[in-house]
Amino acid sequence: MPISGVIITSTPEHLDEVLSELQQFPQVEVHGADEKANIVAVLDTTSSEEMETIIDRINKDEKVLNVGVTYLNTEDEAEQMAQGEKLPKPFGFRKPQ
Amino acid sequence: MAQSRRDFIKKAAALSAASYLGMSLPIDPRNIARANEGVIWHRGSCRLCGVGCRVELGVKDGTPMGIRGVAESRTNFGYICMKGMHFWKCMRHPDRLTKPLYRKKKTDKFQEISWDKALDIAATEFATAHKEGGGRAVAYYGSGQALTEETYFFQKIMRAGLQSNNVEGNPRLCMASAVGGYLTSFGADEPIGSYSDLEKAHCFFIVGSNTAEAHPVLFRRIMRRKLDNPDTVKVINVDPRISQTSRIADIHLQFKPGTDLALLNAMAHVIVEEKLYDEKFLKNYATFRKGKNVATSFADFKAHLAQYTPEAAAKKCGGSFTADDLRTVARWFATSKGTMSLWSMGLNQRKQGVWANNLMHNLHILTGQLLKDGADSLSLTGQPNACGGVREGGGLCHILPGHRLVVKEKLRNEVEAAWGVPAGRIPPKPGLHTMAMFSAINEAKIKAIWINCTSPVQSLPNCNLYNKGMDREDVFIVTTDIFPTLTTQKSNLVLPTSFHFEKTGVFGCTERRSQITKKAIDSPGDAMPEVWIIREWARKLAEKMNDPVITQCIVPFDGLEEDYELPMAIWNEYTQKLTAKRDNDLRGATYEVLEQMADGVQWPAPTAEYALTGGTVKKFVKGRDPMADTESKNDLPYQFYGPAHADRTLWIWHRDQADPDEIPDAEYPFYLSTGRIIDHWHTMSMTGRIPELLRANPYAYVEVNPKDAERLGIKPGDMVEVKSRRGVNQLPAKVYEGPIEGMVFVYWHDQHKDRMINKVTKDAIDPGSKEPEFKICAVQIKRLSGPQPLRPYIV
Ligand code: SF4
Repeated sequence: MPISGVIITSTPEHLDEVLSELQQFPQVEVHGADEKANIVAVLDTTSSEEMETIIDRINKDEKVLNVGVTYLNTEDEAEQMAQGEKLPKPFGFRKPQ
Repeated sequence: MAQSRRDFIKKAAALSAASYLGMSLPIDPRNIARANEGVIWHRGSCRLCGVGCRVELGVKDGTPMGIRGVAESRTNFGYICMKGMHFWKCMRHPDRLTKPLYRKKKTDKFQEISWDKALDIAATEFATAHKEGGGRAVAYYGSGQALTEETYFFQKIMRAGLQSNNVEGNPRLCMASAVGGYLTSFGADEPIGSYSDLEKAHCFFIVGSNTAEAHPVLFRRIMRRKLDNPDTVKVINVDPRISQTSRIADIHLQFKPGTDLALLNAMAHVIVEEKLYDEKFLKNYATFRKGKNVATSFADFKAHLAQYTPEAAAKKCGGSFTADDLRTVARWFATSKGTMSLWSMGLNQRKQGVWANNLMHNLHILTGQLLKDGADSLSLTGQPNACGGVREGGGLCHILPGHRLVVKEKLRNEVEAAWGVPAGRIPPKPGLHTMAMFSAINEAKIKAIWINCTSPVQSLPNCNLYNKGMDREDVFIVTTDIFPTLTTQKSNLVLPTSFHFEKTGVFGCTERRSQITKKAIDSPGDAMPEVWIIREWARKLAEKMNDPVITQCIVPFDGLEEDYELPMAIWNEYTQKLTAKRDNDLRGATYEVLEQMADGVQWPAPTAEYALTGGTVKKFVKGRDPMADTESKNDLPYQFYGPAHADRTLWIWHRDQADPDEIPDAEYPFYLSTGRIIDHWHTMSMTGRIPELLRANPYAYVEVNPKDAERLGIKPGDMVEVKSRRGVNQLPAKVYEGPIEGMVFVYWHDQHKDRMINKVTKDAIDPGSKEPEFKICAVQIKRLSGPQPLRPYIV
């Protein structure tokens, strides 16, 4: 269950719109924004895959210029790995059909 | 109320992000200490691109569990991108290679064998090949992802041990034209300035680079500069394809592929006609050249540019911008307080790659947009150590460590003396460049090749042709890697290596910056660091070939443990003996110094005392570059002491527009270009194993301009055939206002045989840099069917 700290930068004229769009994601906690349209947020997801999907969706928004990650903690998954638990297989590992 | 550990971590995450903006949050900072309980943070560099971001890998109970940026690092100021955020996960992946694997025939199944046996086989095969064909029959093909210590040590054994200059690496496929451009324009390889110019530039000229996706952390810096100064900072994007990078551009000039030399010449035309050049700078520092280094004059240059009127260029470039747009761009470039150009593969991977680089530098020399803060001509590197390891450490067939040319006897002798091997030991002729090397494999002229940390089966252009050679049973292939790849599938011997943070060594990024990453965790299974593998292989080679000179190559490293002492001894030999007084003088950047720095050292850095200041931010400037003072020949403030220009001037070149090797015709009517996407990197053997990255973009697709799509009846998601004279792909379509009309674009990371775009690309090469023209070829486009369920594929 990964947690990350990110700075999302929107185009300045769209800051409010981006902030309200971020509210739609239950996994995104917004902690504040500055006058330069930088938004401080924490992403708390149930899987790395979900984390990725959300960052990707935010990134692809035309009003968003950049998502910069500053911190990522995935110790739950790391612990599962250390205990030999298999993480779901990524796509692939298949031989050509 | 009791807080859970997750609460501590979330609060620590919020504080981490807020601290970058100087924002204070109503959260107790003690949460950070609680979140860090049991975690050791190990400092190093990100492994996934040439930006060189500094990161810290969090390790708890021996397992990597997190990553954070290093705020005080001058490369990334603590930011990392989506790739950087995930790269560590492949460290504990079940697919890691953990045992040496061998098969006599490439059609046999691999068997696990011991290291002793594996190295014995590698030594026997190379010794046998050498006996049959000498140094010409053996080869090393390395990587811009290998540590400097690894590249340096491999090439030492090849050149002094096996007397072979067949030393190459994948930077030939991406950086060689930039090297050629720097050497022929400035007399010295690698940029004059640094990333720190980004915050001082007033005009950005981004050409042939999708910086937003390929170098996201640098893009963040450019974006910040533009947003903070929306009216005074201009961003010019010049590319056949509109990309995420265009979002912050004031103007985007979209040109027909292969016409950029006309565009750059036309900018020079405007600068000369409107007298926007810097007369004093030209008088003091520049001379003019044409053809094979024939001296000319400013008047000749002006006459040469006469044909490149903005009107003619706008027409040649496809008519999607006007002559006045081009004039505006040239004026912004010339008159800003500091102009910075950034480019990557769009200029380099071309048959006229060196020329395109020369024309870029021409604009900077003409306008004096160089050497001052905020002005530079900066080629962005793709791989983390293409500059440090391969360009500086002697990783290409024609160069020895410390930017020395193989052909110069004096320089060869210097290297031989440093290594304590007899003079004349290194062959006087350069070895085979990459495409010639794989052609020689096709003909089995090379009998044994060592491929380290790269997958040419997928990454060579027109790869079908070269894969035939790698299938030959009379060519022995040994690969060192962390994962199975399409190239390990064609190997006889596969050796498992340690990954980043499982070993110690130095990477040198785009801006002449060397940074150390120390071992933080153990390698899985029997994987070993390459430096150990090379030493032990060389020991066996010396025995089998009964050659004391090979022994001499490893004597300085005998008995050293491989996690720290061995790479440090190799680094010391390289920096102290072979960079001394060269333009990449790294004597001050010892492990001891590098370990103290948050972000490493920029060369030249001749002394430890100077290196501890961070090194040289601007080359060639007296007072800012110690070598500009020690090598000074006159009273001028700039001193061009690079090894390639004896006259110590910057050269402005006459370089004409020339068409790409293949242009569309009636039979193959579309341009094809290829490139990189934010989530994936190169052949995907690492990023493809990280589920999040793979799922975001499970397979490659072909981008088609909506107008072309309409004409051809292609709808989003339809399956489309992309066919050239060399090969064919079948990919889903993305209908997108990205590529210019008449051009399609495909990402090159997919390993599936139907979507491996290098089957389609062309292997024409730049005659100077020998870099292939990946970026342009002619193809047919045909709709095959509606959307099909596709399966991602990795080896
Ligand atoms: S920009 Fe490059 S070096 Fe920086 S975090 Fe991303 S992949 Fe790593």
